[in-house]
Amino acid sequence: MTTPHMSRTRVAICCGSGGVGKTTISAALALKWALAGQRVAVLTIDPARRLADSLSIGQIGNTAVRVPIEQLSPQTTGHLDAMMLDAKATFDDLVRRFATSDSAASRILANRYYQFASTRLGGSHEYMAMERLYDLWHNGDYDVVVLDTPPTRNALDFLRAPDRMASLMDEGVLRWLVMPASRSGWRALELGSEVLSRVLKKVMGRGTVSEIAEFFEIFRDLWDGFHARSVEVRSLLRDPMTTFLLVSSPAPAARADALYFLDQLAQKQLPFGGFVVNRTLTPPLPRLDPAVLPAKGPLPPERWDQVLDTIRQARTLRQRLAKAHAEAIAQLRKAGPQQAPCWLVPEQAHDLHDLGGLATITQSLPSLPDIHGQT
Amino acid sequence: MSLLDHSIIVVTGKGGVGKTTVCAVLGLIATRQGKRAIITETSGARVLPGIFGVKSQGYQPVELSPGLDTLSITPLEAIEDYVVQQIKVRKLYELVFRNRVMAPFVDGVPGLHDAVQLGKVWDCAVQARDWQGHPRWDLVIVDAPATGHGLTMLQAPRSMMDLTRAGPLYKGNAKVESVLSDPVQTRLIIVCLPEEMPVAETIELSQRLGPRRRQLSLCVLNEMHPAPSVPPQDWTIARDALTGSSSPALDEAVGLVDTWQDRMQAQDRARKRLAAELKLTITDLPFLFRRRLTPADLARLADTLTPVLTAV
Repeated sequence: MTTPHMSRTRVAICCGSGGVGKTTISAALALKWALAGQRVAVLTIDPARRLADSLSIGQIGNTAVRVPIEQLSPQTTGHLDAMMLDAKATFDDLVRRFATSDSAASRILANRYYQFASTRLGGSHEYMAMERLYDLWHNGDYDVVVLDTPPTRNALDFLRAPDRMASLMDEGVLRWLVMPASRSGWRALELGSEVLSRVLKKVMGRGTVSEIAEFFEIFRDLWDGFHARSVEVRSLLRDPMTTFLLVSSPAPAARADALYFLDQLAQKQLPFGGFVVNRTLTPPLPRLDPAVLPAKGPLPPERWDQVLDTIRQARTLRQRLAKAHAEAIAQLRKAGPQQAPCWLVPEQAHDLHDLGGLATITQSLPSLPDIHGQT
Repeated sequence: MSLLDHSIIVVTGKGGVGKTTVCAVLGLIATRQGKRAIITETSGARVLPGIFGVKSQGYQPVELSPGLDTLSITPLEAIEDYVVQQIKVRKLYELVFRNRVMAPFVDGVPGLHDAVQLGKVWDCAVQARDWQGHPRWDLVIVDAPATGHGLTMLQAPRSMMDLTRAGPLYKGNAKVESVLSDPVQTRLIIVCLPEEMPVAETIELSQRLGPRRRQLSLCVLNEMHPAPSVPPQDWTIARDALTGSSSPALDEAVGLVDTWQDRMQAQDRARKRLAAELKLTITDLPFLFRRRLTPADLARLADTLTPVLTAV
C-alpha cells in the first residue's frame, strides 16, 4: 500500500467541448501565472502547430519546451514550459516503470493487443493525459500545472479513465480470464465459468478472448503498479489544490455541452473553479446621434447612403449578437453553482499569432489566488 | 444524382462548427424529396429533439418532422443491442454483462464503443425494416464526433477487424466496414467555419482520411455573414471622411464596419484556401444571427443547400 503523496503543485484543469478555444485559454492562463512569477507547465493534447506559434516556440513535443516569456517581461522570475501529450510514449514509459524486469516490459510492448490499446483505439489518450498530469504533479518541479483536456464531447472520458482502469484491476474479471481455476472468483460472478466463457466466445470470438487473456496474463506483472497509480490519480483529481475551469463560448452549441460538464463535475464531486467564456461580444455604445452622421460625404449621394446604411446595419448586427451572447452567458451562470465566478474573454479582432497576442487576453483571465484562494 | 441518394452520409468537422445543424438541414431536404431519413447523434447530447420541440427517446427513434427521425446512439445501449443479437437471449445478457464484475471489462475494451456505434448506423441503413418489410429509412445521416475522434470512429471497424482477425466480432465489423468504405453507399461531408483554425483542421482532416478521401463529397462553410451593402473601395473613401469625429459612438461604428469588412476578407480567404486544398465543392450557409435555430430557420437553410446537393 502506498501512502498518499503530498505535493505543493497546484493543478488547473481546463475542460469544455471542442472549438471553444480551450487550448488558447489554457496557454493564456499559464502565461499569465508565469508572468506573475510562478513556475508553470502547460500540457496540451492539441497537436495544432498554431499553439506552438502563439507560444513563440518551434515545436511542442512530449518533453518540456521553455517558452520565451522574458520577451514580454525581462525581469520575470517565473517560467513557462509547454508540452504536448504523446499517449503512446507515455504508456510505454509506464510499462517500463512498472514491469518487474526488462524482458517483461519488452514482451508487453511487443504484444499486439497492447499496441492496439496504446495507439489505434480510443480511450487511451484520456488515461494517458491523466497519467502525465500526475507525473508533473508528483515531481513537484512546478508551482502550477495547467491541463488542456482532450476535445471529447463524449462523457468526460478523461475523468472516468482512472476509475475505469482501477476497476478493471480491482474487480478482477481479468484475473479470472487469466486464471479461470480460481473458484472463489466465479462465485462473485454468480454464474458458472462455462456460461461466461461460452457467452464471451460467442460474442467476441474464441481467438479474441484468448488473445486478450494472453495480454492480461503478461500484463499481470504490472497490475500492482497500475492499480496504485489509478488510485493516486483519482485522489489528485479531488485534491484541494486542484481546480476545474469550464471553458465555454457564447455559441448555442457550446451550452448543452457546458451543462453536461457541470453535471458530471458535480456528480463526481470534483472542485469547480468557475467559467471562462471565450470570444464574447459587447453591445455597441447605446446611442449613435444622427447628427454625427454627415448627410453628405465624398461619394455620390446614393453611394453615400449605402455607407450610412452599412453603419446602421453593422450596429444592428452587433446588437443582436451581443444580446444572444448575454443571454447565453446568463443561462450558463444560472446553471452553475451560485456565485460561481465567470471570466469573460472578449472576442479579438485578429487571431492570436504570438506571445504578445496571447498576452492581450491574459487581463481577462483569473489570477492564481482568484481560483485557488490565498494559499 | 443527388448526394442524398447514397444510403449513409457522415457529417464531421471541428467542434462547434454546426455539424448538427447541417445534419438537420440535410434531413429536411431528404424528406422534401420524399425520402425517409434518420439522423443519428453520437455525442449523447440529443440536441435535435429540442430544436423540433419533441421529447427525446434516447436510443429509440423519435420523429422530428414527417419522414425525418432521430436517435441518440449511446455506446452502452449499442453494445447491449449487439450482444443480444449475437446470443439471442436478453436474460443472459443481463446476467453476464450487467454484472458488476463484467461491466467494467466491457467498458474497458478499447475501440469497442466507436465500433458498436457505427454498427448501429449500419443496422439503420441496411437491416432496419418498417412494418411492411421495406427498408425503414432511405438515408442515414450520421452526426459524427469532432474531427480527431470522428476519424478514430470511422477507423474503428477496421481496427476491430485487425484486432480480432476472425470470429463474430470480425465478421460484424467487416460487414459494417464494407458499407462505410464504399463510395457508392457512404459519403462524407465536412463542416467548417471561415476562421483560420477550423480551416487548418479541415485541411488536415482531409489529408488524414487516406483512402476515404474519395468519399469526401462536400465542404459546407457555415455561419457566413452577409456582405455589407457598401463595396470595399467606397468604404475606404468613406472611412477617411468619418474618422477623427468627436463622437465615440461614431468611432465605434466605424470600427464595427471595419470588422465586418475584415470578416468578408476572411470568408473569401477561407473559401479560396479550402477550394485549392480540398479540390471539392465548397458551399456557404448563411449565419442567421440567432442564439437558437427554429425549424423555420432550418427550412430556410435547406432552401440554400438544396441546389448544391444535386450538383456534387
